Amino acid sequence: MAAFSTAGESVNSYFNIDDILASQEKIPCSFNVDVAAMGYLDQSTTNVDISVGTKLELPFWLARYLYRGTRSIVSLETPKSYREGYRHILKADPNVVDLHRLGPFFYLFGGKLISFQLPDADDIASILLKTFQGRFRRIMDGSQNALHTDLTGQVSMLDEQERQLFAAGQQGLHDFQKWENRESEKLSTSVMIANHRKRKRIGVSTQPS
Amino acid sequence: MDTSEVEFLAEREHVKIIPNFTQDKIFLISGDIGPFSAGLPVSIPLWLAVNLKQRQKCRFLPPDWMDIEILKAKKQEEADSRFFTEMSSPFYMEITQLLLQWGTDDIPKADEIRTLVKDIWDLRIAKLRSSIDVFVKSEASHAKLNYLTLMEINTVRLFLTKALNHMHQLRLMTSGRSQTQQSQNF
Amino acid sequence: MLAEKALDLIRELHRTSSGTLSPYNEDKIRQVLEEMKTLFEQNKDKAHSVAEGQTDQLSSIQLRHAGIQRNKRCLLAYLYNRLEQIRKMRWEFGSVLPPDVKYNMCEQEVQWFNQYNRLLANYMRSIGESGGLDLTQDMKPPKTLYVLVRCLLDHGEFETQDGNIILLKKNSQHYLLRSECEHLIRQGVLEHVVQ
Repeated sequence: MAAFSTAGESVNSYFNIDDILASQEKIPCSFNVDVAAMGYLDQSTTNVDISVGTKLELPFWLARYLYRGTRSIVSLETPKSYREGYRHILKADPNVVDLHRLGPFFYLFGGKLISFQLPDADDIASILLKTFQGRFRRIMDGSQNALHTDLTGQVSMLDEQERQLFAAGQQGLHDFQKWENRESEKLSTSVMIANHRKRKRIGVSTQPS
Repeated sequence: MDTSEVEFLAEREHVKIIPNFTQDKIFLISGDIGPFSAGLPVSIPLWLAVNLKQRQKCRFLPPDWMDIEILKAKKQEEADSRFFTEMSSPFYMEITQLLLQWGTDDIPKADEIRTLVKDIWDLRIAKLRSSIDVFVKSEASHAKLNYLTLMEINTVRLFLTKALNHMHQLRLMTSGRSQTQQSQNF
Repeated sequence: MLAEKALDLIRELHRTSSGTLSPYNEDKIRQVLEEMKTLFEQNKDKAHSVAEGQTDQLSSIQLRHAGIQRNKRCLLAYLYNRLEQIRKMRWEFGSVLPPDVKYNMCEQEVQWFNQYNRLLANYMRSIGESGGLDLTQDMKPPKTLYVLVRCLLDHGEFETQDGNIILLKKNSQHYLLRSECEHLIRQGVLEHVVQ
């Protein structure tokens, strides 16, 4: 029901779930100043304050508040998955990399990193694009070809956005095959209602017992 | 778009039938149909042809292109060409489906025709996928594909638009980084 | 970690599958609001000392402010995405939601659903000629006026437009006006039999 798509489905949206989850990914930070009374963010110490030089992994949403050009509260480092080492592997053969393990929101979080203007931002930007271009054919062919083969292996290595793309490809294929087998004219139970029934039948109740 | 909607549009295409009844012209909003004279070929919309056939009121006459030799040549042409070739009907797939579903007895060598049309479809879809891949890799901002049919476009629509959106996001990062800023600022 | 509870709410949305609505997490929402309040009070406090020249508090104020903003975003996204789900359910389940779904809604969500229901009903009544137009019908181009259906469960009596009363008994088959039974098919009471 694409006709009812909402702003919430765009990754740029304030309400977008994927974007909120992606902005929780962590970035290595080190503090340039003392921060009073926030020591509880650092679970390795019991200090009340955060002192200069403390290294912490902070989620993107926090880092971007504390990292503002000169006189920043923190300095940032590129997270491991986006550093030279991994960039090299991705360049060599993007298809062998398990992007989901590297960061379930590899592209989305990568895009956020770039906004920090770190020294290697250009390299990160180009590797994001090249990685997707390199993996695209396999995602497309995988989603379009194999209806009956086991795809879990391939899908498990895709990042969240790639998975959504894969699912879209499969949906297109399913729709066409249903039409080809003359099943599309048959009126059927709404998918949402069918899911609801199934959950009730197997006793997965969403109510607290 | 749903496949049943594509089919609905295809059903406006005219096909020839031989009715076994006689009837004056029918006046409809979408145009006049008929008159029907028993035994004389007449061209009518596909939806009505199927409806009459279901009630055993007519016999289908296959379109000219629905012929083994012509389809074989078409298949060869499609295989030889780098680009998409022009199909005799922009709804070739839907017309084949419906005529063969309801009127196998009216269409000579129905099974062979079904296979040939499917072969052509497969060739074209493979070509479509290669084109999409080339397009994504080339970073071009637009591509022109002639002679694609609605049903062909429809099978990749959701996938392609999602993929291009994703590409667009990634390219904004490389070219104008300031433009992506807006989305990062929550 | 800052704003960790708020993220739990988002993770909860992420896990929820189509066709369900998880229980409105009042408890967690209260905890998030409390954290926001604490952060806000602390900042208000420190803002006074900054105004008096103690600028060493600035960084921690910024940090806490980020926490407040993050919590706010998560809370609003939680509420918004639930409303979206409820709105979709109106189009799938119809104007009456299953009791277990309704049970998981908070009072304001129930109110919102009722108002949305009314708006939609009023709008559908106002369009089309004579008696409005049901927009939730004919989601696919109709092929025939009548369809053959089989009952998947005992549904009881059903009055057709022409005034006949038929008994929808499990496994019985009927030939009905498509417009009359489309909803029952979508709701899984009837199965469309294609010859």
